Amino acid sequence: MIWLTWRQFRPQALTSLAALAAFAMLLGATEPHLAGMYASSGITTCHGQACSRFAGNFLSLVNGGYTVVFMLGIAAVILAPAVIGIFWGAPLIAREFETGTFRMVWMQSVTRAWWVASKLALPGLAAMVVTEGLSLMYSWWAAPIGQAARLAPGTSFPLGMGPFSLPTFDAHGVVPISYAAFGFTLGVTAGVLFRRALPAMAVTLAIFAAVQVAVPLGIRPSLFPPAHTTQSLAENFSGQQSVGIGGKFTFALGYIDSEPGAWILSSGAVDAAGRQVSVMPAACQNAAASTGDPMQCLASHGIGIAASYQPASRYWPIQWTETGIYLALALALAGFCCWRLGRRLP
Amino acid sequence: MTAVIETQGLGKRYRRLWALADCTLSVPAGRVVGLVGPNGAGKSTLLNLAAGLLAPTTGTIQVLGDPPPARPAQLARVGFLAQDAPVCARLSVAEHLTLGARLNPGWDAELARRRIDWLGLDLGQKAGKLSGGQRAQLALTLAIGKRPELLILDEPVASMDPLARREFLEDLTGAIAEQELSVVLSSHLMEDLERVCDYLIVLAGSRVQITGPVEELLATHYLLTGPRRESATLPVGQQVISASHADRKTTLVVRASEPVFDPAWTVSGVSLEDMVLAYMRHAPQGGRRRARENQLEAQK
Repeated sequence: MIWLTWRQFRPQALTSLAALAAFAMLLGATEPHLAGMYASSGITTCHGQACSRFAGNFLSLVNGGYTVVFMLGIAAVILAPAVIGIFWGAPLIAREFETGTFRMVWMQSVTRAWWVASKLALPGLAAMVVTEGLSLMYSWWAAPIGQAARLAPGTSFPLGMGPFSLPTFDAHGVVPISYAAFGFTLGVTAGVLFRRALPAMAVTLAIFAAVQVAVPLGIRPSLFPPAHTTQSLAENFSGQQSVGIGGKFTFALGYIDSEPGAWILSSGAVDAAGRQVSVMPAACQNAAASTGDPMQCLASHGIGIAASYQPASRYWPIQWTETGIYLALALALAGFCCWRLGRRLP
Repeated sequence: MTAVIETQGLGKRYRRLWALADCTLSVPAGRVVGLVGPNGAGKSTLLNLAAGLLAPTTGTIQVLGDPPPARPAQLARVGFLAQDAPVCARLSVAEHLTLGARLNPGWDAELARRRIDWLGLDLGQKAGKLSGGQRAQLALTLAIGKRPELLILDEPVASMDPLARREFLEDLTGAIAEQELSVVLSSHLMEDLERVCDYLIVLAGSRVQITGPVEELLATHYLLTGPRRESATLPVGQQVISASHADRKTTLVVRASEPVFDPAWTVSGVSLEDMVLAYMRHAPQGGRRRARENQLEAQK
């Protein structure tokens, strides 16, 4: 059975090897230059404030030519699980129904559950290996950029994306393995249920995209209870502020100085009692009108900026927890496929 | 003699349509059984139920003593050639033989290889490039190579031209004689079955109309012709299967346990084809309409 699975999977295996090789060549060709720029940027030997400046210079150099590669790499790692789910997973069993070959294979002396299990195992493992391979290569290539972005907080998109930002988190660490496993088994399950490749592919894309948006926005921030901090406005404020008609104003924190690399979930102005404030005191409205800078006034009225965040130390706990969730989903889907085809008949 | 397939009130419904209803039959071992009926009569449904590729809606079915779908041990004893002879288009002929060898403990590599040589198939050729007849032969080789006790063939010659059809059936007859198989074979063409079968199951309107050894069926059915009459009364023990009226003549197909001696009729033996057609006509109207719907459905 393993032989048949391998024989049927061979074209896809060769295609993915070619894709891996192309990706490796692209990154391998550009990495020496990138690493050279990093080595000569002074970041490796700097101290204190100077590091931030060196890192900023390095990133603006990178921005000249490598932003495209940077974005392409992220896209490759993030799209791989979806592409695998759609083009390997969905047709895997749906195609057997479409061509009627299941009638031939099911009549060999092998149980259906074993047939499904071995069909899932080999391409499923390959999906995980390929995606994690892409991710590791990309992480290796982009390591200097990530290092510099950490030293120069507030660098603009896309090079300045922190480790927790939506595409970066999804392309690094161990999560890509679990996304690949989930995308693949999702495709197979859709194929088992629809028995037609095309609708299965469409449904796989829709569900996978929905999950990959819903999890980072809805579930990832609350996997661990967030930490809270309140900063005085007298300190150097880093972030966005907007002042509107009638003294309405909002503050959003860009990063927390005492927590480098933290993932800020929400932030806003609060008064001394910790309540949210959205309208300036009248005195500060005058100050804003006359000097254009209400900060000192707001600070003297006890107004500060509060934020809830996940500290940088939560990076790996969140990575592993999310990986566990996706792998559990993938296992459940694989089990469903075996049960559905092994026990239930049309 | 033991039964290879035994069904009890077997039925299969697809949404609202019953493809097969109330089917109770026993297929004896060591026979070549022809399953005949019009398109959409439920032949494929019955054979797929026997192969374990469908689950019955009602009733029970036992194949070689066990209900399908079953353990690998039973799968190894049943060979199945599905309608349209599915093969993996991207695998070569040789790879299909490897597939058979890897997936079946009782695989007879020698037999399979001999068949492929004899058929003149190119081992390196992709199965997708074979002609319809060659594909059916390859699929049959897969089904026979596992050395089954029961071979089920669903419309094996439907897509073949007359020459390929004849060759396939001759080859099948040879294989059957060589291996002492029980065979169930479906077709909607009587002449195919007449050539190879010694036992008949007539299926029409989703129901079993009659079963029995071919010789016995021929010996108990008669063709009666005489002057036209709308309703004929026949003695007890004689059952009219079908009646057709021409301008001045009435023709009856009659089933009788005793030989018919009736001066009012010209009595003659009935051909297998006439007998089967009589049973197809005999099937309830509802069933035939349903059969036609199925047919239309299939053509879409």
